[in-house]
Amino acid sequence: MNKLLIKELRLGIHPVSYLLPVLFGALMLIPAWLYFLVPLYFCFITVPNMFGGYKSQNDLMFTKMLPVSRNEMVKARIAVVIILELLHLGFAAIFGLISTKLYPNLIYYFFAPSFSFFGLCFVMMGIFNLIFFTMYYKTAYKYGAATFTSVAAAVLFAVAAEWLSIANEEVFNLFKGSGADSIATQITILAAGIAIFATFTVIAYNIANKKFEKVEI
Amino acid sequence: MLSLEVKNLNKRYDGFQLKDVSFQLEKGYIMGFIGTNGAGKTTTIKSILNLIHIDSGEIYVLGKNFIEHELELKQEIGYAFGGIDYYTRSKIKTLTNIVKKFYHHWDDEVYYSYLKRFKLDENKKINELSTGMRVKYSLALALSHGAKLLIFDEPTSGLDPVARDNLLEIFQELVQEGEISILFSTHITSDLEKCADFITFINNGVIVNSADKETFIDTYRLVNGKESQLPMLKEKLISYKRNSFGFTGMIHKKDLDPSLNIQSALPNLEDIMIYLSKKEDLHE
Repeated sequence: MNKLLIKELRLGIHPVSYLLPVLFGALMLIPAWLYFLVPLYFCFITVPNMFGGYKSQNDLMFTKMLPVSRNEMVKARIAVVIILELLHLGFAAIFGLISTKLYPNLIYYFFAPSFSFFGLCFVMMGIFNLIFFTMYYKTAYKYGAATFTSVAAAVLFAVAAEWLSIANEEVFNLFKGSGADSIATQITILAAGIAIFATFTVIAYNIANKKFEKVEI
Repeated sequence: MLSLEVKNLNKRYDGFQLKDVSFQLEKGYIMGFIGTNGAGKTTTIKSILNLIHIDSGEIYVLGKNFIEHELELKQEIGYAFGGIDYYTRSKIKTLTNIVKKFYHHWDDEVYYSYLKRFKLDENKKINELSTGMRVKYSLALALSHGAKLLIFDEPTSGLDPVARDNLLEIFQELVQEGEISILFSTHITSDLEKCADFITFINNGVIVNSADKETFIDTYRLVNGKESQLPMLKEKLISYKRNSFGFTGMIHKKDLDPSLNIQSALPNLEDIMIYLSKKEDLHE
């Protein structure tokens, strides 16, 4: 598994992809922006580039011919995506913190960078993983429909969350009203978000694994 | 000892089927796996390597069931698929450094000796290599992890005659010590005339014949006759072609009646491939 992970990180990912979490993260410095877009850029840009690379470089056959099991292949691929997702969210959080210090008196129409916002980002990435991997591993090389559907679902979640936080009083209070002032509430939302992300990703891994067992290479 | 044993392999697709494919490759020999395009060579090779799921049958590599001992046996197998390249924008050095970590018996000394012998520069990218050099790189990788069975799908396709001859010579040298066995598929029959010890012929998903080269060729006779002789032989001929002098056809040696006084000769592999394939066309 570790050897495969090194293979993924060194061969499968273009070095620029390691810079993108920093560049995309810096978008958090745009005052009162729609910050959901920052992690979504990973889904829009990095994912199709990565998986397009795997397809054009015949990675599927290359990796399957190595002495590794199908299960390890899926695990390593999902692990590498999780690493990149965490890098994106991590840098977004760092720049988010800087953003809040830079502009202390800003009026936010959309979510402000806060622990609870990042909790929602984790849910969004969990939804992305669940749909993307379960669709992708039907063939293990066709990534177009999987990317489109999973991105659409993640965007829908982001739009719904933004809309609810404006239109629904309870949601407003939780994220932007009294809840925003309570660090305990924010941390609870973040923890719940991480738990949902982990659950969705584990479910995605299990389904992907079963589907990949049946794939003919 | 058998290096590879394929027993009653069956795999059905819409419009194509591998039917009871069976053959054996003894340790220390080269087997040419021939057939026309679409005959089932790649499907068989992919089935052997568990890249596709077979419907039924058994595959033994070095005496062990391949599906049950896949990871262990992959340590002992080297491969190359003609026309399929991996990570072409990476340097040889980068790719090797990643690949070698997967093999328990990787030997750097052996690897560098093959790089030198094949004149491969490890700072070159895969896409800077010629087709022949790419196959040689696959060979270098396989031999450096001590592969005992080399499986190549059309390794000579796209190679010029000189590169092809060079590669086939390397194949022959590799099996000389009796440790390494090679199965390679091709539709270029001259490759096999040069270096194969055994020949397995597949047509339309069925193994037509699998034997050592001499026996394989000796199974058939090419016959030339007059148009008037055709009706007597027609039923026994595998297939035939009419020409201005009469006909030329192929027949099983056992079906050739010497009393017929008909001109016969040993066919070459190309003749065998053509006439056996033509038989299929007649039946369709």
